Amino acid sequence: MQVFTSVIVLGLCFIVLVISHINDYKERKSEGMISLSQVIGSSSISAIQFEDKDAARQTLSDLQKVSPDVLNAGILDQENHLFAGYTKKGEDTFLFNSPGPGVRTVKFTTHNLFITNKIIDNTDTLGTVFIRTDLKELDNIKATQYRLAIIILIIGVALAFLISFIVQPYISRRLLNLVRIMYHVSETGDYSKHVTTDGRDEISTLSKVFNKLMDQVRESQNKKDEFIGIASHELKTPLTSIKGYLQVLEGIENNEPNKQYIKKTLDSVNRLQQLIFDLLDVSKIQSGQLHLNISSFDINVLIEETIASFQVISPNHTITRKGSTVNLMVNADRQRIEQVLVNLLSNAVKYSPSASEVYVSTEQQGNEYIIRVVDFGIGVEKEEQSRIFDRFYRAKDNSILISGFGLGLYICKDIMTRHNGKIWIESEGTGSVFNVLLPINYIAANL
Amino acid sequence: MRNTCDRFKSWAILIVLCTFSNVALKAQGPEKEPVLKAAFIYNFTKYIEWNGQDREIFVIGIIGNTPVYEPLDAIATTKTVGEKRIIIRKFNTPGEITDCNILFISSANTYPLSSILENTSKGTLTISESPGFARLGTAINFVVLNDKLKFEANVKSLIDEGLKASSQLLKLAIIVD
Repeated sequence: MQVFTSVIVLGLCFIVLVISHINDYKERKSEGMISLSQVIGSSSISAIQFEDKDAARQTLSDLQKVSPDVLNAGILDQENHLFAGYTKKGEDTFLFNSPGPGVRTVKFTTHNLFITNKIIDNTDTLGTVFIRTDLKELDNIKATQYRLAIIILIIGVALAFLISFIVQPYISRRLLNLVRIMYHVSETGDYSKHVTTDGRDEISTLSKVFNKLMDQVRESQNKKDEFIGIASHELKTPLTSIKGYLQVLEGIENNEPNKQYIKKTLDSVNRLQQLIFDLLDVSKIQSGQLHLNISSFDINVLIEETIASFQVISPNHTITRKGSTVNLMVNADRQRIEQVLVNLLSNAVKYSPSASEVYVSTEQQGNEYIIRVVDFGIGVEKEEQSRIFDRFYRAKDNSILISGFGLGLYICKDIMTRHNGKIWIESEGTGSVFNVLLPINYIAANL
Repeated sequence: MRNTCDRFKSWAILIVLCTFSNVALKAQGPEKEPVLKAAFIYNFTKYIEWNGQDREIFVIGIIGNTPVYEPLDAIATTKTVGEKRIIIRKFNTPGEITDCNILFISSANTYPLSSILENTSKGTLTISESPGFARLGTAINFVVLNDKLKFEANVKSLIDEGLKASSQLLKLAIIVD
């Protein structure tokens, strides 16, 4: 782009230069020729007055020495008859047209310059001087100018390329660095990353503004996290007591429909409590306070129990167990793994409203235990698959129909990462498979 | 002695040339010659400077009957020399000659040239049209060369009369002394 601009600017400059040079030359040439015709005219006055054609011819023949590029010259008398003529050696004779009414005329053709100049003595017009000049010199000048222009243009372009070649990496390297950091920030949400600012140019300014923006974002992010933490904590305490009393009420109330109402209220309180727990978890994750409570337990038992208790909550779906059901002791945070399973099952049920089957398949692969939660619901689009584990991310098309904050999978992913395991989705068309990979022996993850 | 000899020679040339020149000028157009001569006479005034004459008129004298008179008279009525009106005076004998700026000695004049020159005052441009007259003392003398009207100039006579002739004029003239 810069090169293109410089080529255009250079080209324009040259066009102007060449044109002005050529015009300059033409002007000088015509001025010179007018002077010459003036001189010829005035020194021919006596020759005309005394009808001395030889003298006039002699005057004209001096042109051979004085101005070799004059091809033809002539003096016409008052009746426009040729009084004296001159033709350069080796050139063709030329028939001049009658002069116009003006005192002098200057006319350029491609290869010639024509000058006519009236011979005036006091007030009498005695005749006209004609000069036809060769413009080969102009052609030469043009050729030289064009050649020069092209050479300099090539040099200019080469220089422009060279300079941009030298400067480009410096600029683009810093810009690309900035872009890389922006990508990193948008992907990880790590707003603490700063761009190095070394210099006083526009890119440095951009970097500074970017850093400032990141600081502000980080600050507001922190405040938000802090708020979520405090709010959810403050909400949790009264809710726990509400839940406790509701449970007591449920135990002592035997009359319908009161018992039914209490049950429904308790369900809602449970859902609310779950949301608050999720928010608390997120807050812990953000502030780095989520710690695992590692113990040895039987994963098979955990899965069976979880399925069993979940089956009670969702009577519309049949949750089936598949694959290996061998008892296996693992080192992990039992509660957190359960949380992951519940989350996945709840998603499976939530996102397959029309289907009635969800199954959980498990298998051991060496030192790793793989749990797959399979549903036959609406599935997840390819473009969305990488983002569903993001915080507050919810599937676009269904977010209105299905409730939730979009925190479940984010928490799951964090839990699995802390276990040095993995969680990922496979989904094509209908249904989706959530895979969980859990190392049998816990190794602290390097976060 | 030398003078007589020269004069004889010039007369001889005159006779010979007259025969030829008549033919030549006929070819050019016999009626054109006097007109041309009249124009030349008028044009000479542009190239010659008369010193010390502050008359308000420019006098051209003619001696001898000549067809040049009419075209010259025509010029005199329409043109001026500088700011001065042109007056044509005809003289029949050398004795009649008065102060003139130009004295045209026509070929029809029968008086000896010397008698005419004696009667001209200083500062008169004498123009003749007879072969050899320039050599004999007239400042300018018309001749016909290769069918063309030319003129001889006697630089010495010009200087003697105190006349300044422009180089533009002299370069066209055939110089004699």
